[in-house]
Amino acid sequence: MKFSELWLREWVNPKLSREALSDTLTMAGLEVDELTLDGEDYKFDVAITPNRGDCLSIQGIARDIAAITKTSLIPLAIHPVPPAIQDTLPIKISSPSACPRYAGRIIRNINSEAVTPPWLAERLRLSDIKSISPVVDVTNYVMLELGQPMHAFDLNTIHEGIEVRNAGRDSKEKIKLLDESEKTLDADTLIIADHQKPLAIAGIMGGLESSVTLKTKDIFLESAYFSADNIVRQRRLYGLNSESCYRFERGVDPELQVTALERATQLILEISGGQAGPITEVVNALPKSEPISLSSKQITAVLGIEIPEAETQSILNSLGFTTQPQSDGWIVNVPSYRFDMAYSEDLIEEVARLYGYDNIPVQHLKAELAVHQPSDVHIDTQILRECFSHQGYHEIVTYSFVSKPLQTLLDPDHIPQALHNPMTAEMAVMRTNMWPGLVSTLISNQSRQQHRVWLFEIGACFVDPNNTDQPFYKLGGIASNLAFPEQWGLPSRKIDFFDIKNHLENSFKLIHIYDEISFKAENHPALHPGQAAAIYHKEQKIGIIGALHPTLLQTLDLSSPVFVFEIDLNTLPIQLIGSLKPLSKFPEIRRDLAILVDQAIPSKVIQDTIKNCVGGWLKDVFIFDVYQGKGVASGLKSVAMALILQHPTRTLVDDEINGLIDEVVATLKRTVGAELRS
Amino acid sequence: MQNLDEILQEAQASISTLADMAALDQYRVLYLGKKGKLTEFLKTLGKLPLEERPLAGQKINTVKEAIQVLIDQRSHELKKILADRQAASEAIDVTLPGRGQSFGSLHPITLTCLHLKKIFTRMGFMFRDGPEIEDDYHNFTALNVGPNHPARAMQDTFYLESSDKLLRTQMSPVQIRTMLDTTVDLPLRMVAIGRVYRRDFDLTHTPMFHQMECLMVDKGLSFTHLKGLMKQFLSEFFEADVSMRFRPSYFPFTEPSAEVDMKCLNCSGQGCRICKNTGWLEVLGCGMVHPKVLQYVKIDSSIYRGFACGVGIDRLTLLKYGISDLRSLFENDLRFLKQF
Repeated sequence: MKFSELWLREWVNPKLSREALSDTLTMAGLEVDELTLDGEDYKFDVAITPNRGDCLSIQGIARDIAAITKTSLIPLAIHPVPPAIQDTLPIKISSPSACPRYAGRIIRNINSEAVTPPWLAERLRLSDIKSISPVVDVTNYVMLELGQPMHAFDLNTIHEGIEVRNAGRDSKEKIKLLDESEKTLDADTLIIADHQKPLAIAGIMGGLESSVTLKTKDIFLESAYFSADNIVRQRRLYGLNSESCYRFERGVDPELQVTALERATQLILEISGGQAGPITEVVNALPKSEPISLSSKQITAVLGIEIPEAETQSILNSLGFTTQPQSDGWIVNVPSYRFDMAYSEDLIEEVARLYGYDNIPVQHLKAELAVHQPSDVHIDTQILRECFSHQGYHEIVTYSFVSKPLQTLLDPDHIPQALHNPMTAEMAVMRTNMWPGLVSTLISNQSRQQHRVWLFEIGACFVDPNNTDQPFYKLGGIASNLAFPEQWGLPSRKIDFFDIKNHLENSFKLIHIYDEISFKAENHPALHPGQAAAIYHKEQKIGIIGALHPTLLQTLDLSSPVFVFEIDLNTLPIQLIGSLKPLSKFPEIRRDLAILVDQAIPSKVIQDTIKNCVGGWLKDVFIFDVYQGKGVASGLKSVAMALILQHPTRTLVDDEINGLIDEVVATLKRTVGAELRS
Repeated sequence: MQNLDEILQEAQASISTLADMAALDQYRVLYLGKKGKLTEFLKTLGKLPLEERPLAGQKINTVKEAIQVLIDQRSHELKKILADRQAASEAIDVTLPGRGQSFGSLHPITLTCLHLKKIFTRMGFMFRDGPEIEDDYHNFTALNVGPNHPARAMQDTFYLESSDKLLRTQMSPVQIRTMLDTTVDLPLRMVAIGRVYRRDFDLTHTPMFHQMECLMVDKGLSFTHLKGLMKQFLSEFFEADVSMRFRPSYFPFTEPSAEVDMKCLNCSGQGCRICKNTGWLEVLGCGMVHPKVLQYVKIDSSIYRGFACGVGIDRLTLLKYGISDLRSLFENDLRFLKQF
């Protein structure tokens, strides 16, 4: 709410500089966002919280300041204007719950040449409201002054009488509004209508046809109370906004309507002349505030300090609350404009607010030492984050909503869930895997001449629309360009599949599941058909790794190599302690073996064959060379392996070892057609 | 033939001219070898009368020992010279950079979350998680945000197209789920950290951001305790004795509600660019849990009281690391990330 300082000080004038006043307001819950010099006056811009609809007026703020600073309020004397004519309009309320009170009066023969006095226009201006014409300006002025939104109609556009009813009694009523938009009204919309047609959407915006113009001679002035629920619904439905509905939504004093009407009448007569008729008022069941029981004990319990009862009572009274003593506290009745008061906790907040939050001391918590309560964040991702960070990946954080085309390119097998109201077209669907963010970040970094881009991200992915209760976390990574940063002493080479595989293997070793992990060649639509694998933990698929498909590289204008991987964290069995194998005291024997075998035979098959053949005495078998080319027949490859043999309880003798090796060679020949390389 | 003294003098004079181990060996052979000078001398002992032999033998041994000492010393010296020469030839330029892989980094938001986790773990809080796609009940209704509440402005919340679910706008739904979880007992102290979504994108707002909310429910909790916890938390996080002020505010799910400012650490409250010349930085919101919320989760508010606080992690990250632009947290420019 923006307003003039001079205007405010007409209502309450504490002995405070404007800066001090600004601080006081802020520390009392009416946060001053800005205080600026504007012409000869200062403009306050106060952020009023949604529960303090009563402060959306000079009167409301002044009342609060009076209570906070213990200064007297200088009330405005508003006298009823005696009617000069007897003209009235019949008023019928067909929706009493939506409009519990409607008051209106006719003013005839206003001077259409009249001009809004500068002092009034200035006050409007400081509240960011444009001056339009005297009648409209007065309605806006009184809204700012007292908090009652009002509306003026050109009387001669109203046929027979006013009816406050739902639209759509006849099919599809329409209205052209003040902002020149045309709305088709639905059956639940509350409108102000005459006996022929809609005149206004109640409490939100008036119609163009019935509005007051420079030619208007006679007006009908409306001052009503509309229920917030209706207003909210209508505002959203038609996408409208106005100072009027802003106030009705947050609450207007249900006792204010007639007073405001008198005040507006007085101002209009002063400025534009004319004759006012009597006020017609239709009242139905108004919202009533219930008395609230407040106990001193509860105040002490909630706030943690004991405030003397006299002080509490004084605070409540200064806010206009009446206090009837009862045992341990009071029965408190709040004025009609404090519709934010419903619970005793609301009263306690008022007491604390005026007592001063900063006057309430700080106290240390005492609680039972927690015997471990069930944390359900079951995946401790820190160990994995550090693992990838230490292997050269930079962690990124990207938006969970991504571009649909990109997501479809990278995960065509899953349909992403679309947002109804996305921020932009690039953020229209919820990601199904982590790759869109990684790829986009790769691209944006490469466009800034960062070529060696290695990134990882952990986040939730949204795959199954029928089960959104469990967040589905994945760790995704991308690597491009060189294996090592360019440097002296190390020949440059591009990354390949096995660099990335090594990173993943290291992470599995860290969480002690490496022995049960296997990589199986498996196609993925976004990956290179010859360089893609699925990662299995025992029989369960837990991840994917591969080079981006060459077509994708082209589409995205990326240069190879680019590798991506992803691990499903929900199904990852993280173990912090592995199982220990006992050490043998007896020497290890190494025997190297080089075989020639069909190039299509996977190395795992060769190693598994050897393991199965040798059994427990094989401590390890590892490949130290794989070779194709000169000296090896085409279609074959040479695989050189080291076998580490060890017996648990004695030293192995040469004969045994040689016999073992012979058996291995024979088995390899039999099962995979391998020949010893000479 | 030389006499013993002459041999010894000659040996002493020539030892330092020996330039390497080969020459030293030759020298040893010359004097101490099977056909060496001293051995020859020993042979002459037989021509001497018996009573003169012990003394003569002693003299020869003395010289022998002296020469051996010379040899040992020279051997020691030569080894050192050789070692030094070797080392000099292996010298390197120690100012060249180290070789190998370079470390990556953790994102500053992760670092902030880690710090927060550490602080609250030390105080015995448990960590809870919840879905990012939420339903209306957990995100609004149970938090005392009725269907027509201004907090529900359509333009602030992201909705899914194919259902009436939404992206959570705060971490409070996790608090609701925890309080409704029958496996969780009272008293309760919990923290929830995660991503939240609001449809807002400008200099100081991103459509997705990170939030931490903490909740305590116990008997005898009061506003003073809430203040105490906030003070401890802020002081721990900013590693300074933080001056804070509590301002009345409004949240649908707390009453009394407060916003907490802390004195700008950059200018000690004098006013600077970081605190927009006010001397204060708004850091978090908090309050006593509204009785209506306790009612929704079926906690008896006549026995238990709760308080909660919420803080923007991205904002804390900006403050902690002196980052000026919120958007840089999500642009993931490597030149920025590499600094962490």
